[in-house]
Amino acid sequence: MSALVGGPRQRSWPLRHPLDLGPGVTARRPSASRFLAFGLVIAIAVSVLVGRLAWMQLLDGGRSQAAARGTIVALEAIRSSRGLIYDRAGRVLVANVPTYTVRIRPADLPLSLREPVVMRLSGLLGLTTGEVNRRIDASAGSRFDLVRIASDVPEATARLITEERSVLPGVEVVVESHRDYLAGELFAQVLGYTSAIAPAELARLKAAGYLPDDVIGRAGVEATYERDLRGVYGQQRVERDASGRRIQILGTVADALPGNSIQLTIDTRQQGLALKALRWGMAEAGLRRGVVIVMNPQTGEVLALVSLPTYNNNEFARGISPERYRELLADPGQPLLNHAISEHFPPGSTYKLVTGTGGLADGEISERTRLITRGYLSIGSFRYPEWNGRGWGPLDIYGGFGHSSDTFFYQVAGMLGIDRLAYWARQYGFGSPTEIDLPAEASGIVPDNQWKLDTLGELIYPGEVYHAGIGQGYDAVTPIQLITAYAALANGGTVFQPQVVREVIAPDGTIVRPFEPRVRHVMDVDPDVLRVMREAARTVVTIRHTYNLVDLPIKVAGKSGTAEFGQRDAQGRLPFHSWFVGFVPQDAANGSFRNADSPLMVLAFAYDSRTVGNAATEIVKYYLQLHFGIDHDYRIPDLLERGNFYGGN
Amino acid sequence: MGVLRIESTRVHDWLARPAAPRWRAFDIQLTVYAAALVAIGLAMAFTNSGPDTLVSGSTFTRGLMWAGIAVVVFTIAAAFDYTWLRTFVWPLYALNLALLVVTLAVGDGVGGTQRWVLIGPLQFQFSELSKILTVVVLANYLASPSRRLDSFVTVLGACALIAPSAALVLMQPDLGTSLVFGAILVGTLFLSGVGLRWLGLLGGLAMAALPVLWTYVLRDYQKQRILSFLDPAADPQGSGFQLLQSQVAVHAGGLMGTGLTNSAQGRLDLLPVESTDFVFAILAEELGFIGGLVVFGLFAALLWRVLAAAWRSKDPFGLAMGAGIASMVLFQLIVNVGMVLGVMPITGIPLPFVTHGGASLVSLALGLGLLQSINVHHPRTSW
Repeated sequence: MSALVGGPRQRSWPLRHPLDLGPGVTARRPSASRFLAFGLVIAIAVSVLVGRLAWMQLLDGGRSQAAARGTIVALEAIRSSRGLIYDRAGRVLVANVPTYTVRIRPADLPLSLREPVVMRLSGLLGLTTGEVNRRIDASAGSRFDLVRIASDVPEATARLITEERSVLPGVEVVVESHRDYLAGELFAQVLGYTSAIAPAELARLKAAGYLPDDVIGRAGVEATYERDLRGVYGQQRVERDASGRRIQILGTVADALPGNSIQLTIDTRQQGLALKALRWGMAEAGLRRGVVIVMNPQTGEVLALVSLPTYNNNEFARGISPERYRELLADPGQPLLNHAISEHFPPGSTYKLVTGTGGLADGEISERTRLITRGYLSIGSFRYPEWNGRGWGPLDIYGGFGHSSDTFFYQVAGMLGIDRLAYWARQYGFGSPTEIDLPAEASGIVPDNQWKLDTLGELIYPGEVYHAGIGQGYDAVTPIQLITAYAALANGGTVFQPQVVREVIAPDGTIVRPFEPRVRHVMDVDPDVLRVMREAARTVVTIRHTYNLVDLPIKVAGKSGTAEFGQRDAQGRLPFHSWFVGFVPQDAANGSFRNADSPLMVLAFAYDSRTVGNAATEIVKYYLQLHFGIDHDYRIPDLLERGNFYGGN
Repeated sequence: MGVLRIESTRVHDWLARPAAPRWRAFDIQLTVYAAALVAIGLAMAFTNSGPDTLVSGSTFTRGLMWAGIAVVVFTIAAAFDYTWLRTFVWPLYALNLALLVVTLAVGDGVGGTQRWVLIGPLQFQFSELSKILTVVVLANYLASPSRRLDSFVTVLGACALIAPSAALVLMQPDLGTSLVFGAILVGTLFLSGVGLRWLGLLGGLAMAALPVLWTYVLRDYQKQRILSFLDPAADPQGSGFQLLQSQVAVHAGGLMGTGLTNSAQGRLDLLPVESTDFVFAILAEELGFIGGLVVFGLFAALLWRVLAAAWRSKDPFGLAMGAGIASMVLFQLIVNVGMVLGVMPITGIPLPFVTHGGASLVSLALGLGLLQSINVHHPRTSW
């Protein structure tokens, strides 16, 4: 205690006596004027606060006016109506349907009343109390933001909830619209869907005017054209009571601007034909995944784009259940993925276009150069086989491309080397996204020495150059890249950015953005080289490498391809996947492939098509029959039977 | 004879020292005013906790527990000879900074801030304790015999001493509390007698730094609060909402108030997470203008007693201590009540004693305890 309390004698240290500050230092006395000044500050501050309190509580109307003052004038967003989407012919593909949404403002729901309100609400909506509670608690925003509890509520339920509002504090019924995709599955991969904004997105987009219970385009053009379709939300002044319930609308600050509409390059009829052809081929050949793309090579416009299996985007627009969403995610066919753009595969023999173009353009071979094709080529002890096991003897580029001779293109690839091969692949647009106006595009792989060094830490082996030359090994392309590359062949060397949207149209009907072809890249190549390759592609058909395709009353050029990849079967064999890209001249019946005037190109990709013939070729053939209204049926279903077709073509 | 006299002096000292003369100087008024404010705060917590008032963990029971801790801290601090504090001022300073760094490292808070540290089941806001420790450190600095109060170097030194704590608190981010450090600095320098021109220069420099602070230091939400103070209707659903809600509550109070527990239904739910900082709004609604006057009167009386203690301490250290505590309480009173009454922007500053925040109350108890220690233990010499 003595140490704690201390006494005068102990106090010489640590504190010096205030009057004993040492020589030359004067004692400091507290300044009375400063203490007075400080006291004055206190007096003034307290007076101001008292005055303010008196003014607020006594003079400013006091309690009688409190009720009137209890209202709040707030700015509230006016939602804009989302733009519509039309097909090439002007048919409406999506409509906005009014729907009732039930929401809760958590700040208005006193904690003590939460349980009965949640109980009553879950009863009315047919949800469990757990679900309602989870949705309230999942809100990302503040307690004053509305939280979506249920969408697409039947009108009768909505009425009931509105009538019971006195016992359901904080609960509001809002009329909003949801998207109704009239074509459903036919356009799901192109249109995508809208759904509720996620908390992370909201943080990013709040500044752009997105609200916590907003919807946003998620996939397809709904996502890529979100800014056009959404429009601009307006603002209105509303009067609310103390608990935030709206009393009246006082006026509009800014009108909402409806979103722009967009018109697709795709025609519903052509899309339907493509789907029909693909469905037929897949059913016939027992396939689980497939793609058909139709394009105008002169502009890059996509005329049809089908990826199967697919999903119904209306499920998302109406609020998909977590169980159903998980089911779609778990489907091995990946229906939510647009296989035409979001996945890449080895291109197989279709890639011989790159090798042939490079050989000709670099002067390694000429139109007349003949190379000996045989059963296999060797590098050291490794054998690189011809797909038919024999070869065809000496072949020029027409014969080599026409028969799809592997040994011919091994040799050309060897002459070019991996880096020149990669150069020509990039000239065709491989190795980078085509920048199509759809989200989630894959970029594909063009292997060269640098790529392999970066990826696998070593240089390309000579044998890998052979594989790269016939579209095997590391080569990987998306279907949209492949058709864009062949479109460049067909149009004389322009690599277009593919587009699925033709025009952006303002609500008043004026065209905001007219259609313009977008050129990504013009190939640095002698047009005559492409002329040779086009005629070589015609040879593929004329020498009946594609069976009876030549018998159609229209002229078709093209290239098939088969790639092996995936999981090996019991015999250690890889699954086969088949490609075909075909195009027709401007004058389909009599035109020539000397000219770069093709207006129509069709690509089919058949995943896991272990069939006798090339399934993709049959699908393209069927589409062309349908497209040109050819009455005679040239399809050969036998070619689509499951078999042991193990030859690279 | 000589021996006898010495003996008798010792006996006399022994008997006389512990009780009466010392504790006679204990300022009972100061204690009563503070206790009354705490009681009002507890009453607000009790009447507005809803049906679960007496359940363990409710605002009221926690407030009661913190009040108990505060009494213990106050008693120990009052019994302690404050002059001894100067011996371990620098370890205290290091502890202060360490606590703030720990808060930044492991702290929690509302909306991504780091303001509280959880100690067992309790949240503790070290920045509250830091304010009192800063008062002590600053007082020690100014009381150094060689300190020249008419030198700008002294002013700069005091700024440098406070800057790390204020910066660490600002990083939490807690603009309000870091401003309290500024108020402590200015008030203490002023009452300690630092040259007025140097204080003027300091003020000028602070004004010049404002644009820099606005651009580089303030977070968006802090700017938003200041802007919504200037124009509350601009964002009535956001930070303007709290302001409007609290003003509606004050208006509803009138002269006599609506009576305890009669705050508009759901108001406590409406006032946001930092509702404890808005306790004055509920108080003004339930107890009316009269209740508000009582609170202001208690604060004025309390500040008077704090200044009296500073004046009577008769040594620069005690003076600066009292000045620091008075500045802190006054600033918090102005800013907190000013916020509720709509004359100050929203900051998370508690109303001293009344707001039921544990750290705030315990820190204030420590400060007042040290003030009582000044009353009790100041050297028995005159200037």
